[in-house]
Amino acid sequence: MYPRPVPETAHASRRLYMTLVGAILIIWLAPLFAVILTSFRSMADVMSGNLWGWPTEIAVVENYTAVFTQTPMAGYFLNSLVITIPSVIGVLSLSTLAGFVLARYRFPGNMLIFALFVGGNFLPHQIMMIPVRDLMVRLNLYDTTTALIIFHVAFQTGFATLFMRNFIAALPDELFQAARAEGATPFQTLIHVVVPLVRPALAALAILLFTFIWNDYFWAVVLTVSDNVKPVTAGLANLRGEWVSAWNLISAGTIIVAVPPVVMFFLMQKHFIAGLTMGAVKG
Amino acid sequence: MTSLWRRHRWWLTPTLLILPGAILFAVVILASSVQSLWISLHDWDGFGPMIWIGLGNYRELINDPQFYVSLKNNLIWLVMFMLAPPIGLAIALLVNQKIKGMRVVKSMFFIPLVLASVAVGVVFTWVYTPEFGLLALIFRAFGANAPALLSDEHLVTFAIVIAALWPQIAFCMVLYLAGLNNLSEELVGAGRVDGARGWNMLRHIVLPQLTQVTFIAIAVTVVGALRSFDMISVMTRGGPFGSSSVLAYQMFEQSIFSYRFGYGAAIASVLFVIMAVFITWYLTRIIRAEERGA
Amino acid sequence: MTAASSPIHAKPRNQNERNAMKSLELHRIEKSYGAYHALRGIDLSVEEGEFIVMVGPSGCGKSTLLKTIAGLETISSGQILISGRNVTKEEPGDRGIAMVFQSYALYPHMTVAENMGFGLRMAKRPKEEIDAAVARAAKILRITDQLDKRPKQLSGGQRQRVAIGRAITRSPDVFLFDEPLSNLDAALRTQMRVELSGLHAELGATMIYVTHDQVEAMTMASRIVVLNRGAIEQVGSPLDLYRNPANLFVAGFLGAPRMNFFDVTVDSVSGATAAISAPGLAPMTVSLADGVAPKPGDRATLGIRPENIRLSPDDTTRAAISGKVRLVEHLGRETILYVDAGALQCVSSESGTGNVTVQIGQVTPTAADAPVSLSIDPHDAYLFAGDGQRTVTVRKTIHTNRTKVGTI
Repeated sequence: MYPRPVPETAHASRRLYMTLVGAILIIWLAPLFAVILTSFRSMADVMSGNLWGWPTEIAVVENYTAVFTQTPMAGYFLNSLVITIPSVIGVLSLSTLAGFVLARYRFPGNMLIFALFVGGNFLPHQIMMIPVRDLMVRLNLYDTTTALIIFHVAFQTGFATLFMRNFIAALPDELFQAARAEGATPFQTLIHVVVPLVRPALAALAILLFTFIWNDYFWAVVLTVSDNVKPVTAGLANLRGEWVSAWNLISAGTIIVAVPPVVMFFLMQKHFIAGLTMGAVKG
Repeated sequence: MTSLWRRHRWWLTPTLLILPGAILFAVVILASSVQSLWISLHDWDGFGPMIWIGLGNYRELINDPQFYVSLKNNLIWLVMFMLAPPIGLAIALLVNQKIKGMRVVKSMFFIPLVLASVAVGVVFTWVYTPEFGLLALIFRAFGANAPALLSDEHLVTFAIVIAALWPQIAFCMVLYLAGLNNLSEELVGAGRVDGARGWNMLRHIVLPQLTQVTFIAIAVTVVGALRSFDMISVMTRGGPFGSSSVLAYQMFEQSIFSYRFGYGAAIASVLFVIMAVFITWYLTRIIRAEERGA
Repeated sequence: MTAASSPIHAKPRNQNERNAMKSLELHRIEKSYGAYHALRGIDLSVEEGEFIVMVGPSGCGKSTLLKTIAGLETISSGQILISGRNVTKEEPGDRGIAMVFQSYALYPHMTVAENMGFGLRMAKRPKEEIDAAVARAAKILRITDQLDKRPKQLSGGQRQRVAIGRAITRSPDVFLFDEPLSNLDAALRTQMRVELSGLHAELGATMIYVTHDQVEAMTMASRIVVLNRGAIEQVGSPLDLYRNPANLFVAGFLGAPRMNFFDVTVDSVSGATAAISAPGLAPMTVSLADGVAPKPGDRATLGIRPENIRLSPDDTTRAAISGKVRLVEHLGRETILYVDAGALQCVSSESGTGNVTVQIGQVTPTAADAPVSLSIDPHDAYLFAGDGQRTVTVRKTIHTNRTKVGTI
C-alpha cells in the first residue's frame, strides 16, 4: 500500500487528512458547483445582476423546465440517445468479432491489421473530416443521425478491437482446444465460449463507448445542421449562441448535457475504471 | 456448395467475422485519411470540380501568418498539457488511502473526465465571464478586477488550456491510481527496510514501477494536446481574431466557413505529419529504453 | 536516533555488554485486525548469533510476525527490542535489520551493485564506504562478476544471492528471511540451504528465518519456533522439539511421515506410570513426567512415530498391533507400510485413511494384503492428555554433539 496507510487508530491524523482531501475536492469541483448553483438562479436575479448574492427565489424547476419546453433540448436529448445506443451496440459486436479473429488466429498480416486498428485511433479527426463529410453527402446521409452512427461505429471499432483482442487473448488456450476437440465451428466457439466469458470486458467497454460517443462534439458539428438531428453536444453550443447572457438557463442546459454520462459512470464505476485501465495498463 | 463451404470453413469463417469491422474501419477511417492528403493537393470549394495545384496549398500555408499563430498555440498546448501527468500523480497519491468513503471521493475527482468537452467549455466560459464569473468573484474578494481572459489575445490560449487540463488531469489520475494499485508490496517493503522515505521512496522505488503508466499518460496527453478542437470551438471560436486558434481549428474554419477544402486538407495533413512524427519518435525512444533494460 | 551513531553501526563495544544484551526480544506481541487475532501474546528472546527458524502451517502468523519485527507491519500492543534498543515505534530503516524477501524484491531498474548499496546510500554514507561494503558482500556470495548486471539478466539463484548481499552490506544486527527458498526448484533449494547454513557460520550473525518447510527448519535452525494460529506452541532446538514435543500439534508437525495418533483410555495410574489401552492395541504402560497425573478413565492420545514401529513376527515382550498391509511404498533406502489395524484406527493421519504408518529403514519383502504384527517399545511412545494440549510422558534424552553457533 503506497502511500503509507494512515493508521486506523490515529484519529486526529485521519480527520486532518479527510479535511485536507475535502478542501481540495471542493476547489477541484468549484467550476462545476458554480454552474450548478447558477442553474438555480431565477431570471429576475440574472437580469438584475444578482448572481452570487442571496437568491430572491430558487428557480430550479422553472429553469430546467424552460430548457426543455422553450428550446429543442428535449429533441437534442432524444437524438443523442438515437445516435449513442445503436452505435455502442454496433461497436461491441464488430469489435468482439474482430478481436476474436485477431486474438486467436495466426495469419500473415495479423499484427499489421492490429496495428492499423490501434494507430487509426490516434489520427486527428481533422484528417478524416473532409472525405467523411463528402462520403455522407454522396450517400445522401448528410445531416442524419445515421451518418453519425456510421462514423462512430467505424471509428470506435479501432479502440474497441484493441480492447477486446487483448481480453480474448488472455483467455486460457485450453478452452478453445476443448471446444475444437468437441467439433465446434469457430462461430459456435465465439457464441458459446467467448461471449459469456468476455461479459465484464463488454460491460466496461460499453460504458466507455457510451461516454465517448455521447460526449462527441466535433462530428456532431461537422455532419449535422438541423435541430431535429443534432445531439445535445452540438445543441448546447447552439443554445449558447442564442441566449448569450441567460446564464441560468445555459447552466441548466449544461447540467442536462452532463448528467447522463455522469450517472452512468456512478452506477458502473468499477466497470468504467476497469475499462480505462484494462486497455491501457494491461496492454 | 455446402461441401465447398465445409472444406474452406476453417479460414472462411474468421475472414467473414473480421470483414465488417475491418472494411468499415478501412473505408471510413483509413481511406479517408489518405484521401485528405490527396485533396490537399487540389483547390476545392466542396461543390465544384477539384483543381490540381500540386503543393500550392502548402506554399500558401508557409506564408500564412495565421498558420504560425496556430502552430505557436499548439506548442503552448503541448507544453502546458505536460502538467497533467504530474498533477494527476499528485492527486492519485493524495487519495490512495483505504479509508471509508474514499471510493466516493475518488469518483468525484473523476467527474471532469466524464463531462462532455462542450460542457467543460461552457463551464469555464462561465468561470471566466467578466464581472460575473467565478474568477471575477475570486479577484473581487482580493479587491481586484479580473481580466477578461477570453478576450485577451495574449492570455486566451492559456485560459483555454487550463479548462482542458481539468479533464486531462482526471484521466492521468485514473491511470496512476491503477498503477499504484499494482505496485509490488515487496519492493516497497524492501525500500522501507533500506531506509528510503518520502521523496527518496517516490523517486527510487515507486516511480520506476510506474514507468509504463507514465508512458501511456504522456502519450495520451500529447495526442490530446495536438488534437484539441472542442474547447476552442466552444469557448472562443478561435478568437479573438484567430489568436486562440490551433491547427485543428484553423483547418475546420477554412473548410466549413471559408469553403476552402483543399487548403483545410493541407492544414490537416500538416497536423497529421506532426503527430505521426512525434508518436514514432516517442515510440522508438521507449522501445530502445526497454531494450536497455530500464 | 542519536546523531553520533546510526543504528546500523550501533554495536556494543565490550564483551560484557555483548553477552548481557539479547539480539532480539519480543515482549507480549499482540496484533489484531478488527476481530481477527493474528498474533497472540508472543514472547521470545534471541541470543546473538542464533539461527531461529519460525515454522508453522499457512495462516499461523509466522510471516506476519516477521514483518512486525521488521517494522513493515504495526502491532496492537507489546514491545520489540533489538540489541537492547526499543524499536517498537521505529521505521524499518532505523531498526538495524535487513530483510531477504520471498521474491527477492530486487530493484529492477538498478544494477546489482546499486541494489546492494542502496541502503547505505539512503543512510548517506560516503561512496568509498558503500563501494567497499558492496565489494565485500559480493566476494562472500561469489557474485563479484555480476555487479554491473541488471536483475532481469540473472538466474533465480543469482538473484537470491544479490538479495542476501543487499542484506549483508547493511551490517544489520538481525537478518530476517521470509521464505527465501520457496521460489527455487528443489535441487537449487537444497544447495542454497547448505550455503545459507555456511553463511551463518561464516558471519556469525543473528538470523530469523521463516519457512513452512520443516526440513529447512530441522537442518538449519539452532532453535525452532513452532507457531500455530498466532501463538507459539514451542521453542527449542530441532532435536529437542523432535524428541520432546510439548503437545500434539508440535508432535504432528515435525517429522515425516507424520506421527501416528490413537485414541486411548487411561486405565490406571500408579506412581510415575500409567496403563493405557484401546481396542486393537495390547495394553501398555508408559512413564509419566513429574507433576502430571491423568486420572483413570481419562481419554488421551497415544503417539508413536512410524520409524519407531517394528515388524515383529513373534516377539511377545513388546506391545503388539495386528493388521493387514494395505499399501507398500518402496523408496529404496526405506519402505513405508500402510497397515489397516482393524479396530485400532489412526486419527488425523496424513494419508487421510485410518491406516497405521510404519517406516522401515530398509527394503522389506512384505507385500500388500499380507498380515503383519507390529510392536512398539513403550519408551518410544508419547501420551498427550487434555485434548492434546500437554505431553505427559517423560522427556526423552537426546544424545548429540551439536554445538550452538556464534557463542563467544
